[in-house]
Amino acid sequence: MKECIFAGFGGQGVLTAGLVLAYTAMEHELNTSWLPSYGASMRGGKANSTVKFGDTPDEVIGVPMMAEADALIAMNRPSLDYMAFCKPGALVLVNSDALDSEYDFPADKDVHLIPAGEIAYSVDNAKGASIVMIGSLMKLTGWFGKEEAKQSMCNMFAEKGKSKLDSINIAAFDAGWDAV
Amino acid sequence: MKKTLMKGNHAAGEAAVRAGCMLYAGYPITPSTEIMEHLSARMPEEGRVFIQAENEIASIHMVGGAYCTGKRAMTATSAGGFSLMQEFTAYASDAELPFVIINVVRSGRGIGSLEPGQDGYRQSVYGGGNGDYRNIVYVPNTIQEMVDDIYEAFDTAEKYRIGVIILTESSMGQMMEPVIMPDYKFMEGQPEWAVTGTHKWDRGSDGLGLKRKAWAEKMERMTAEMQRWEDSGLEDAEYVFVAYGLPSRSTGEAVKALRAKGEKVGFIRPQIVSPFPAKAFEKVNRDVKGFICVETTEFGQMVQDLAITVKKEFDRNVPVNFYPYGIGVPSVKEVLANYEAVKAGGYKEVF
Repeated sequence: MKECIFAGFGGQGVLTAGLVLAYTAMEHELNTSWLPSYGASMRGGKANSTVKFGDTPDEVIGVPMMAEADALIAMNRPSLDYMAFCKPGALVLVNSDALDSEYDFPADKDVHLIPAGEIAYSVDNAKGASIVMIGSLMKLTGWFGKEEAKQSMCNMFAEKGKSKLDSINIAAFDAGWDAV
Repeated sequence: MKKTLMKGNHAAGEAAVRAGCMLYAGYPITPSTEIMEHLSARMPEEGRVFIQAENEIASIHMVGGAYCTGKRAMTATSAGGFSLMQEFTAYASDAELPFVIINVVRSGRGIGSLEPGQDGYRQSVYGGGNGDYRNIVYVPNTIQEMVDDIYEAFDTAEKYRIGVIILTESSMGQMMEPVIMPDYKFMEGQPEWAVTGTHKWDRGSDGLGLKRKAWAEKMERMTAEMQRWEDSGLEDAEYVFVAYGLPSRSTGEAVKALRAKGEKVGFIRPQIVSPFPAKAFEKVNRDVKGFICVETTEFGQMVQDLAITVKKEFDRNVPVNFYPYGIGVPSVKEVLANYEAVKAGGYKEVF
């Protein structure tokens, strides 16, 4: 089973980015769960989503809560607290635009600093920082193929009636892929 | 059939549409509100009735009104909202009127919290209102199972003329999983107990005695027919875990990990808690050292039904352990740690 945490402020797309991963897993016939933060955090402030998916179609998902993540996408500094829920050696993708000072990362994490906001802005998708991170995540983990992941992302947005964003989302994904 | 990624609450609402629910009356309460949100669009789309009532008491009475005329109806709520509905569930149980309620439990007394929990167990199982009655209570642990349970719930409610509760937790309502939606179905014909204005139907002059008899028969029939659970590793188990809902997913993972280490542990996951799946316990190793109940309550609710069942099933006093997980969903690590504590005699059994 794989586990990935997406965390940031509300509005940074961390729920949506989690959905892209869960949707991609589903389209690969894998069991998957997507759990958003709820309660006070939903009403402004910190937000997160936890996605789990099976390694094989037969694998069932146990408890959907964050426990021992393989990867963390941290869109802001407070989100780095969730490293406590990451396995040793876990991948940590940090939105470096939101880190205003040096951060002392633990040695047992595979940390990548990615200026996701800046990259998103450069491809004319200012709101697409979390999609940039999805591109980087897919490349670094190799969980799903590049084209398949992009197709699933577009299918997910199509279901929400947001296909008109496909071209800028693909641009953000590609930019994230190329950034790592 | 195509799978879609759906939020638990939206899937629950859609399942009711597919099951032929003709009226939804409800009053919003977190964390169940998305059921209502989904149905506010879908019921009119299907030419069915959607009502946002003035409160929970009115909602459940509207459900009862619809069911009086033989039409499938449902409401959804949580915590204090469910409490408000008990005036009617007691009444409906006396009148042997079916109803379906989805109880998306948020933990805590009174206003409570938004956290998931299982402290709505006793209220759901034992009726919650005045008088002696029971509901049939489904306790799914995946969104697909919840959809399938809701799809069946109306048939069950009508078959036994009883209240059916789908007991879930706030996180089940908020999370997403892939689901396959069943085909549309509808109630077939009109039930003989429906009020149509063309005939009189009652229990006769000895109403009270006949009602008691009818309830006794109902209890016996549903206890025999509605036994539903999943189990593993019971035959040689030294310890048997019992858990439902989301905690059963942590427990399932813990059991798998313990078995991989060679620990002799078994697992019973009730899929319906009322009637309690007593039949599951027939398979348990006669030399079992104890049962471990994993539930998110403060003082234990299901553990009492478990203890009664274990007492009846075994000739000796088999310890029944319970750790008060309180609110939330226990992690696999916590379940494992408490297993070690039980084994080491770290805390005394509660029954």
